[in-house]
Amino acid sequence: MMRLRPFLLALVLATTFAFSATAQQAHADTEKFIASLGDRALQVLVVDSQSEAEREDAFRGLLSEGFDLRLIGRYALGRYWRRATAEQRSEYAKLFEDFIVDTYVARLGEYSGETLKVVSSRADDRDTIVHSEIVGDGRPPIRVDWRVRNGEDQLKIIDVVVEGVSMLLTQRDEFASVIQRSGGNVEGLLARLRDKNSDGE
Amino acid sequence: MVAACATPGDEPGQIADPLEPINRYIFAANLAVDTTVIEPVATFYRDFVPDPARDSVRNFLRNLESPVTLANDVLQRDLDAAGVTTKRFFINTTIGVLGLFDPATDMGLARRDEDFGQTLGTYGVGPGVYLVLPILGPSSLRDVAGNVVDYYFDPLNYYADNTDRGHITVLRAGIRGVDARARTIETLDEIERTSIDFYATIRSLYHQRRQSDIRNGSAPSLPKLDLTGDTEDDRTASLEN
Repeated sequence: MMRLRPFLLALVLATTFAFSATAQQAHADTEKFIASLGDRALQVLVVDSQSEAEREDAFRGLLSEGFDLRLIGRYALGRYWRRATAEQRSEYAKLFEDFIVDTYVARLGEYSGETLKVVSSRADDRDTIVHSEIVGDGRPPIRVDWRVRNGEDQLKIIDVVVEGVSMLLTQRDEFASVIQRSGGNVEGLLARLRDKNSDGE
Repeated sequence: MVAACATPGDEPGQIADPLEPINRYIFAANLAVDTTVIEPVATFYRDFVPDPARDSVRNFLRNLESPVTLANDVLQRDLDAAGVTTKRFFINTTIGVLGLFDPATDMGLARRDEDFGQTLGTYGVGPGVYLVLPILGPSSLRDVAGNVVDYYFDPLNYYADNTDRGHITVLRAGIRGVDARARTIETLDEIERTSIDFYATIRSLYHQRRQSDIRNGSAPSLPKLDLTGDTEDDRTASLEN
C-alpha cells in the first residue's frame, strides 16, 4: 500500500499538469482568435476611401466568420424563443442578422483605426472570456470583454461587453420590451425589425 | 407586489420598471428638450471650445468632486482607493493648477468615480425601481437617494448655502451636464438610430453600467447568460432552422 502512494501522487500530479497545460493552450488559442479577429474588425471599420456599403459587407463577412449569429439571436429572444413558431424563428433569424450588422457597425464603428490589446482570459461555464482593451491615442483604454464559445471544434464569439455593458443583454432587454408592449406577441418584434431593416436601405 | 406585475423586472437581470408609463412620458419630454436645447448647446460647446479647454473644465469639476469620492471610498472600506483619491486631489490641486490638469493619471493614479448609490450597491442594496428624472434622465430609487446623500458630502454645497451663492451649484451642474452631453453626441445618436425601442435600450444600458460601476469593473465582469428553462434541444433546434 505504502508503495502505491508516490505512484498515485505522481499520477495525480501528471494529470493535473496535463489538464492545466491543455487548458492553457485552449486559452492561448482563444486569445489569439480574438486578437486577430479584433484587429481585422477594427481595420475594416476604418473610415477610409471605402464606401459605407463596402465596409458593411466586409464587416458582415467577419461577423459571420467570428460570431455565432444564430445562437446570439436565440439568446437575444430569451424566453420568447420557446413561444415562437418555426416560421417565426426562421424569419427572425434572417431579420436579426441584418439588424445586428447595422447595430455592430454603428456601435463598434467609433473604435475604428484603434488597436485591440488582449489582456488575459478565463473560463466561465462553457465559455472562455477574453479580456481586452481598445487603445487609442489621447483617451483612456476602453475595456472590452469577449465571450467565446467553443462549439464543434470552432471558436465563435457570442457576446461583446464594452465597459461592463453587454451587447447581447442590451438587445435581449430591448426585444423583451418590444414583445411585452405588443401583448407578448413575437410578431410585434418581427414587424419592428422588418421596418427597421427596410429603413436603412 | 412589484414582482407580480408583468414588468421587465421579472426578466432575470433586468431592472424593475413599474412606473414605465410615466417614465416613458418623461423620457419623451427629455428627448424633446434635448433635441431643441441641450444637444445644440452641447454641439456648440464641443465645436467652439477647444479640446484642451474642455478637458480642463472637466478636470476642474472632477477635482471638486474629490471629497464626495473620498467619503464613498471610505464608506466602501476601500482604503487603497481612498489613498488614491487623496493623492490625486493633492497632486492635481497643486501641480495640476487647481485641478485644471490631471497629472495624477499620468503618474499611474487613475481616477475612479464613486457615489453613494454605488456605496449602497456594495452594501447589497438593489436599484429598487427605475426612474426617469426630468432633464437629469435615467436613475433609480437607490441612486436618487445616493444623490441626496452625496449632496451633503460636498463641501462646495455648504459653502454655497452659507454664503447665499446657490447659483454656484446650479452652474456647476449645468456645465457638467453640457460637458457630458458634448462627449456623447455621436454615441447617443447612433444608439437611437439603431434601436427599435430607444427607451428600453437606455434603461438596459443604465442598469448594466451601474452594476458594472458597483463592481468597479472587476470580475465577474460579465453578466451571466441565464437560460432558465432552456435545454440543449432548443439549441439544436435553433441551429437546424
